[in-house]
Amino acid sequence: MTRWFDEASEKGSAVVSSRVRLVRNLDGYVFPSRMTSGESAEMVRRLKGGLRELDSLDGKSYEYLDLTELGSLEKKALTERRVINTTIAAKKEPSGLIFSEAEDTGILLNGSDHVRIQVMASGLKLPELWKQANKIDDYIGERFSYAFDEKYGYLTSFPTNMGTGLRASVILHLPALSLGKKFNGMVTEMSRFGAAVKGVYGEGSENYGALYQVSNQKTLGISEKEILELVTKVALQLASQEEQVRRMAMEKHSLECADEAYKSYGVLKYARRLSQKDAMIFLSQMMSGVTDGILQFKEPCSLYRIMLGIQPGNLQLGADRPFDKEELDAVRAAFVREELPELI
Amino acid sequence: MLCERCKIREANIQYTEIVNGVKTEHHFCAQCAKELDFGPYSAIFDSDFPLGKLLSGLLGVGETAGEEQVQVVCPTCGLSYEEFVKNSRFGCPDCYGVFDLLISDKIKQLQGNDSHKGKQPEDWKRKQKEMAAGSVFGSQKEAQADSQAKAGETGAEGNLESETVSAGSGRSIPEIEEEIRVLDARRQEAIRREEYETAAQCRDRIKELREEIGL
Ligand SMILES: [Zn+2]
Ligand SMILES: [Zn+2]
Repeated sequence: MTRWFDEASEKGSAVVSSRVRLVRNLDGYVFPSRMTSGESAEMVRRLKGGLRELDSLDGKSYEYLDLTELGSLEKKALTERRVINTTIAAKKEPSGLIFSEAEDTGILLNGSDHVRIQVMASGLKLPELWKQANKIDDYIGERFSYAFDEKYGYLTSFPTNMGTGLRASVILHLPALSLGKKFNGMVTEMSRFGAAVKGVYGEGSENYGALYQVSNQKTLGISEKEILELVTKVALQLASQEEQVRRMAMEKHSLECADEAYKSYGVLKYARRLSQKDAMIFLSQMMSGVTDGILQFKEPCSLYRIMLGIQPGNLQLGADRPFDKEELDAVRAAFVREELPELI
Repeated sequence: MLCERCKIREANIQYTEIVNGVKTEHHFCAQCAKELDFGPYSAIFDSDFPLGKLLSGLLGVGETAGEEQVQVVCPTCGLSYEEFVKNSRFGCPDCYGVFDLLISDKIKQLQGNDSHKGKQPEDWKRKQKEMAAGSVFGSQKEAQADSQAKAGETGAEGNLESETVSAGSGRSIPEIEEEIRVLDARRQEAIRREEYETAAQCRDRIKELREEIGL
């Protein structure tokens, strides 16, 4: 089974992946936070029933997960793969998830809102993702009546989602740009345009892996099309700046760049213990090496998939007991050795 | 400004705390804010919302806390305005209308705008159209009933059938409208009972009828 993040990393671009998320609620029902456990279960059942033929809409094969019955490690793993967020992972009342085999489409039932549609893909593909999400939205809208107001748009639990209920985001790999002094200024500048830039795995220099997420800050008074254009524009801007800085580095310090990439590969390919921090740093340096065209694999390899795979929840999936840190570091090193193909 | 907790990272979250009427401002970085237990606010740090500003600061915890205020409560879900501000979270779709006057300025501050632009649900658009059309027919009916009353006729209820006959079907528009209403009620009942086939049939028939009377 191929999942969306299995797509091989390629030379050239700093863009890793795109995501579109739509939040909706049904008219005539209170939001999940005000529901009793019984009402939540009823809402999940109602939505699940209405969407049971979703396969016929886009030909994808969907499975259903009862999040209440899922173990905490499995939920953690889903959080790490960005299928659900930590609030939902911690939620005790009934909620469910319909998600596609490739994990690129997920419909969360009765999370913070009644419905959350999420579509993900590798590369920069916001308009395509919006089209898919919009189609699912129409499909649900034919079966259920949405809570909508002429002035406030789609009514949502959090005021930060009201209006379009749309959040578009792009993950970028910015190792060179984020080291520069001007980076913080750029982030501030982008927020003036209504785009938020934040580290995926932490703030500032602690964002090991140098993955950054760009997303729209506002959802009200800005149309879907404008949101998609804004986020795409900002993502492209940052990506092209990163690529420019990298090109300059390659021109002036090609030996250092190559050395860094190959050393990272050497460590990752042969280490017997890897902390998450080290693994993220070396994988990020390898990612740069692939982008610069220094490293080429004998088989297709998605470094982003490895980054997702080395997070603690995913590493412990299928284990019969939780690992301690030492074990986790050993398991992580083994996983990376196994995943990394030979170089050309 | 640096985060007051770690003193390393840039503080980009402002948190206003009110203890015994004394207002203290705190400045944290997103990481520390996540680690600190803000109780009900925690959801905000986890939600996908960019961590620019802490909502409750905007929504004005400081303005309501401590002072005596008229309690506004949403009759549908029981959420009070105070609770809404505390959690930065609505309880149900009706909260928007109930708190409208209290929040519209703050929504504008938070979102930079106060009215929706973009997609509208199909069934909502249809309802709007119907309501607009319905009010026209309604006033016609009234006008006719009026004139009939003036003419001194009795038993006006039986006479509505002869009004505004739609082309082709030989049935009056109010009749068809009534059928649409009945079908829509049936459709909603079918959805409630999760009989989606029936609901779809009703929906298709409603669509046909709407086209017939030019809605
Ligand atoms: Zn801090
Ligand atoms: Zn309410």
